[in-house]
Amino acid sequence: MSHFDQMASSTAGAEDPTWRSAARSGAFDAFTNGSMPTQDEEIWRYIDLDFSMDDYRPAEPGLIDLGGDPLKDVLSDPVTVLLSNGEYEGEDRTVDGLSVMSLRRALVESPSVAESVLSRAGVSAEEDLFKAAAAAFGGGGVLVHAGRNIVAPSVVSIDARSGGGGAASFPSIVLVAEEHAELSVVVHLRSTPGDDTLVIPQFSILVGDGARISLSVVQNFDYRARSIGSLRAVVGADATFRFGEIGLGGRLARLHLDVDLEGRGSSANIVGAYFGEQQQILDYRYFMRHIGTNTRSDMFLKGAVEDEARSVFTGMIRIEETGQKTEAFQTNRNLILSEGASAQSVPNLEILANDVRCGHGSTVGPLDADQRYYLMSRGLDPETADRLQMRGFFEEALQMLPHPELAEPTRAWINRKYETAQAEGRV
Amino acid sequence: MPNALEISNLTASIGDLQILKGIDLAVPFGEVHALMGPNGSGKSTLTNALMGHDAYDTSGSALVGGVEVMGLPVHERARVGLFEAFQYPTEVAGVSLRDLITEMIEVAPDPAAASERTTQASGLLEMERFMDRAVNVGLSGGEKKRSEMFQLAVAAPKAAILDEIDSGLDIDAVREVAELVEALRDPTFGVLVITHYSRILRYMNVDRIHVMVDGRIIESGGPEIAERLESEGYASVR
Repeated sequence: MSHFDQMASSTAGAEDPTWRSAARSGAFDAFTNGSMPTQDEEIWRYIDLDFSMDDYRPAEPGLIDLGGDPLKDVLSDPVTVLLSNGEYEGEDRTVDGLSVMSLRRALVESPSVAESVLSRAGVSAEEDLFKAAAAAFGGGGVLVHAGRNIVAPSVVSIDARSGGGGAASFPSIVLVAEEHAELSVVVHLRSTPGDDTLVIPQFSILVGDGARISLSVVQNFDYRARSIGSLRAVVGADATFRFGEIGLGGRLARLHLDVDLEGRGSSANIVGAYFGEQQQILDYRYFMRHIGTNTRSDMFLKGAVEDEARSVFTGMIRIEETGQKTEAFQTNRNLILSEGASAQSVPNLEILANDVRCGHGSTVGPLDADQRYYLMSRGLDPETADRLQMRGFFEEALQMLPHPELAEPTRAWINRKYETAQAEGRV
Repeated sequence: MPNALEISNLTASIGDLQILKGIDLAVPFGEVHALMGPNGSGKSTLTNALMGHDAYDTSGSALVGGVEVMGLPVHERARVGLFEAFQYPTEVAGVSLRDLITEMIEVAPDPAAASERTTQASGLLEMERFMDRAVNVGLSGGEKKRSEMFQLAVAAPKAAILDEIDSGLDIDAVREVAELVEALRDPTFGVLVITHYSRILRYMNVDRIHVMVDGRIIESGGPEIAERLESEGYASVR
């Protein structure tokens, strides 16, 4: 029997302002009438969802203890936020025009900001069961807001923790940079070791005209956790959205990204690096829509899989009729480190305008034999040669991260995963 | 005293195709020899077979400083003291030359000495500006060869094979590479320069020239061989 019932939805929405209630009840209906997505739907192709929402229940409130966030330490003087199973812990803060507050309070106290971002960049409950669940049973999260012309003086470091066996949580991260404002945010997604927890993170992002938002997400869930995330960003005229994702953890970790380059001259830079080990499934569905003229986007993802891990990247660049003078590129390169591992890499273009420059590249293959031979001719044993080559493979993506400070810890995490695989004879 | 490199009755084939048909060749310590031959004579196969490339089935013997290397994996041949400067040095994206040199120093028999050699050679060859760039990525032909010579100096091998070290270089770069080889010449190792053309030999003092045709050494002698090949071509030795 499902724990996601009417009462759970009402409890989650106890603090909702009236304008939110209707949306929640609509989402609840969508959830109740919905079913688990299957591979028949293009957007769910290549992965099997081997669980049901009935395996989970809404997470109980309470602080999850995971120790300090190591990422906070590599950032210079960050404003820190703690989300525990999606719920904002601590006080709201305003620092030099940068405001960081509980999303629940924001919905009540700053309804105009919250409503405008959620109506434009919120996740639609109609899309699938997980998005419906988030809209029906979620509500907790953080709003990071920089008003007009505000250049946020420090990076916001969000430690988003989840945990509890059988618990489902719905952390919502809402970022707004109004006209000519600048925001920089790092999110660390983590979960309690050993807990089979389901996390449905939602990112809603509004980049106003002439504004800039840089967001890095380090996905470091425990291997027992599942995560089905989504991100929607709407980018205004001459505005820039920079996004980097590091995919490390989770037995299943998915991110569905929708970026709408709405304003004339808007641009997006999307970078990714992921490493799947053992039976992990890392799943990326990235959609880039060019709506305004003179827009520019670049997607660049590098990934590796070992043992029986699988990765999926499906990228879509869609250029609307209005998106003349667009430049759009996507690149996805994958290393297959073991025979049992696999990577799907599916770039797509849909171009409705006639004056555009587009390009895409996609590769899936093993480590390069010529590089190994060359490095071995210098006296390096094959394991060292491969480790060096593997490190070099990711370096290009790490150099492009929106937050260069994250390159070093990411390098160390990826290297450790690879060295463990070597030590255990899987690669 | 063993030779730097001593090859005896070496054969190499790919499938049913025999490319090396029994090579005998010795390079004493302190000497620089050249191996010349027309395209397709087996020069590059000899290099690869000696270094241990897995494309070839081989038989015969190759001693490096008196130690048999045939049958060893590539990295162990390198550690015995065999070095190959590549005709087309492989690009290793995302790995800086400094990272590679650090690993080379780590596996050297005497890491402190290798570190010292690195400092010296880096100065001599003006390599500092290349240290933080990815190995061979975006380098000109001449810069790649310079980087190979630098790695040779760091490795301090007993025997070095310079495979078509002059290929793809303009005349100034050829002279520069030849001068580097001369500068590195040392009683502690022997060099085998593999070349198609004799022009690089104008700028270096080779002790001996071996001519290879169709998988065999058909003539060995002094520098006068190069002059004859230059005027008469390989047709004169066939």
